[in-house]
Amino acid sequence: MLEVRDVVKSFDGRVVVNRVSFGVEPGEIFALLGPNGAGKTTLIRMITNILKPDTGQVLLEGATVDGDSRRWIAYLPEERGLYRRVPVIDVLVYYGQLKGLTAAAARAAGLALLERMDLQEWATKQVQALSKGMQQKVQLCTVLIGEPRLLILDEPFTGLDPLNTQLFEEILAERRRAGSAVLLSTHQMNKVEELCDRALMINHGYMVLHGSVADIRRHYAGHAVMLRADRRPELVPGVHGVEPVDGAWKLHLEPDATPQAVLRELVARGVDIESYAVAFLPLEDVFVKVVREGLGLDHGQSGPPVAEEPARGGAR
Amino acid sequence: MKFSLSRAAVVARREYLTVVRRKAFLFTLIAVPLYFGGVMAIASRGEMSSRRESMRSLTTLGVVDSSGLYAQASRLIVSSLALDAARAQLETYRTKVEFLPDQARLEQALRTGRVQQGLVIPADYLTAGRLRRFASSNNLFGSTASVRPIERWLVRNLLAAHVDTARAERASRPAVAMDLYTLGRDGRFEMKDDRREMMDFMIPFLVSMLLAMCIMVGGQYLLQSLSEEKESRILESLLCTLSAEDLLAGKLVGLGAAGFTLVAVWMAAGLALGSPLMAVAQVQLEPRLLVLAIVYFLLGYLFYGSLMTGIGAVTNNMREAQQFAMMFTFMNFVPVIVLTSILAHPDGALAVVLSLFPPTAPTTMMLRLGTPSAEVASWQIAASVGLLALAGWFVLRGSARVFRIGLLMYGKTPNLPEILRWARSGR
Repeated sequence: MLEVRDVVKSFDGRVVVNRVSFGVEPGEIFALLGPNGAGKTTLIRMITNILKPDTGQVLLEGATVDGDSRRWIAYLPEERGLYRRVPVIDVLVYYGQLKGLTAAAARAAGLALLERMDLQEWATKQVQALSKGMQQKVQLCTVLIGEPRLLILDEPFTGLDPLNTQLFEEILAERRRAGSAVLLSTHQMNKVEELCDRALMINHGYMVLHGSVADIRRHYAGHAVMLRADRRPELVPGVHGVEPVDGAWKLHLEPDATPQAVLRELVARGVDIESYAVAFLPLEDVFVKVVREGLGLDHGQSGPPVAEEPARGGAR
Repeated sequence: MKFSLSRAAVVARREYLTVVRRKAFLFTLIAVPLYFGGVMAIASRGEMSSRRESMRSLTTLGVVDSSGLYAQASRLIVSSLALDAARAQLETYRTKVEFLPDQARLEQALRTGRVQQGLVIPADYLTAGRLRRFASSNNLFGSTASVRPIERWLVRNLLAAHVDTARAERASRPAVAMDLYTLGRDGRFEMKDDRREMMDFMIPFLVSMLLAMCIMVGGQYLLQSLSEEKESRILESLLCTLSAEDLLAGKLVGLGAAGFTLVAVWMAAGLALGSPLMAVAQVQLEPRLLVLAIVYFLLGYLFYGSLMTGIGAVTNNMREAQQFAMMFTFMNFVPVIVLTSILAHPDGALAVVLSLFPPTAPTTMMLRLGTPSAEVASWQIAASVGLLALAGWFVLRGSARVFRIGLLMYGKTPNLPEILRWARSGR
């Protein structure tokens, strides 16, 4: 669906995005991560064709993003706003028409979206009469109208209550099932773990992490398993260290040991196992570690620390 | 980046409807002509009624004649005042002249109201020419309205004993009409019709004023719309769906049309009220002039509208935008400031330069073309239109580049070298 090929962008001689490449497949939710000032917004602006890359290409379904193909991209920026003194439905009709719908079709689609957001009673009210949360829901409607194929959402959950967060997540799941690709930029790492298939992290304009969310978390957790048992396990073959973590035990494995072999050893030694799983590092910890230690900034020479895997696509 | 006419049309429609549906627009549409019309009507009615009142109330004029020149003078002044511009209706007033022995008696008569005005003719009047006029009120128009009948009475009665009545009458009013014949472009002398020439001039003058006002009003709407979108952070999501060029074109057309609607309604109202006068004066509009007015209007709006969108894009809020825009709006009104020079010397250096200089060309050229004595060479018209079109195209291109970059910049207003760099290279 979306293919970003080796894009570079600099301002006043300062490279802001440096040779970034990645793809997002239909039905995939892809996370774009990075600390503030890493170059995420510039990268998004190149994808949406607001900025042109100095070198490299952005392709949507194999073609450059231009002219009519823009209508298939929808963007919810982090710093967002709406026309304040305009009825809600008129805002949606305007966005719908810009995406190529007729006025009547845009009105029908707008009303359907407002109903989905439980805002149908507010259709004829001016935007300024709505609460902040309601306005955010209207913002999402402006993104969804015209059934875009690529949704780019920058911090979509900020300021939402748990109920509306859940609603947003349901809508994302619906769009995923309908085959839309979603590029999600957020600092809420729990949301990335919950929703995203793959992630790209950039720092100082460089790609520093790229791959499936599970692989990244596993990679940074080290070669380990989490065990919940009746007692502290002894060092069985294949385990070179045991560490207590939140009432459980983290078993650090030898490089050639497999989790299955270690499990067999533990059972054979009569350990009463409550739970046993491959260890994953929370994504937040991965984020902090990568940024704090400046990992992957030599990308130009050594490549990203996690190799990209084929896109999974479809629902998880 | 590809330009999409359909998306620009959607923007234009929205911008137009948003502005014209606002209560403030309707208020401005109705209130401004009512205000100016009301002020002019009140002022004009006030002046006329004051003059009439003054003439009506002047039933007796007290005269103290120390010169002895007016011993045989007539005891009655008959005067008239036109009630309309066409002098179709005249009102006649009769004023009795009462001679008094001295100034003290005159002042006494004024105080009691027996006479309403007084005239003291000193002994040396014939050589010195000085008179003293007394009035019980100091009303501006009222006091001047009655001067001319008194002057005529003085002339007529000074000559009455020495020349016949007809000569005395003619001396008091040397010309009831003095028609002026001027050499026309075809080599023949033609009677100059001031009223018709004024009306012929009024059309291009009004067109140039319409252009200047449209630029001002449309420019204000452009600044307002862009500032609102920048302040409320709408642009980023919009620019994902349409190009900066689509947005710029849509805004230029939609908001220009809104400004035009406003001024056109005012003009239409003005023309409707003035049409009887135009019919009397047999005003004819030259097709060439009409075509040129449209060309100048479109090119002028393109030039100024593009400038305003560039300004709106690089500034952070309405106040900042207005400060920037003011100097450009001022350029637009330079020809109005030097209006008398242009009208007096329509082919002079100042008029020619201003009609070739793109920012002042539309207004100046329309003024020159409307001035009957001007002979505007065809090359000047061609050069003026060409330069304006070229300048409009450059400004549009530069503004589109500045617009694309400036729209997403918040907080810091770029300096002039930065803006010029954006306009040149688009980065």
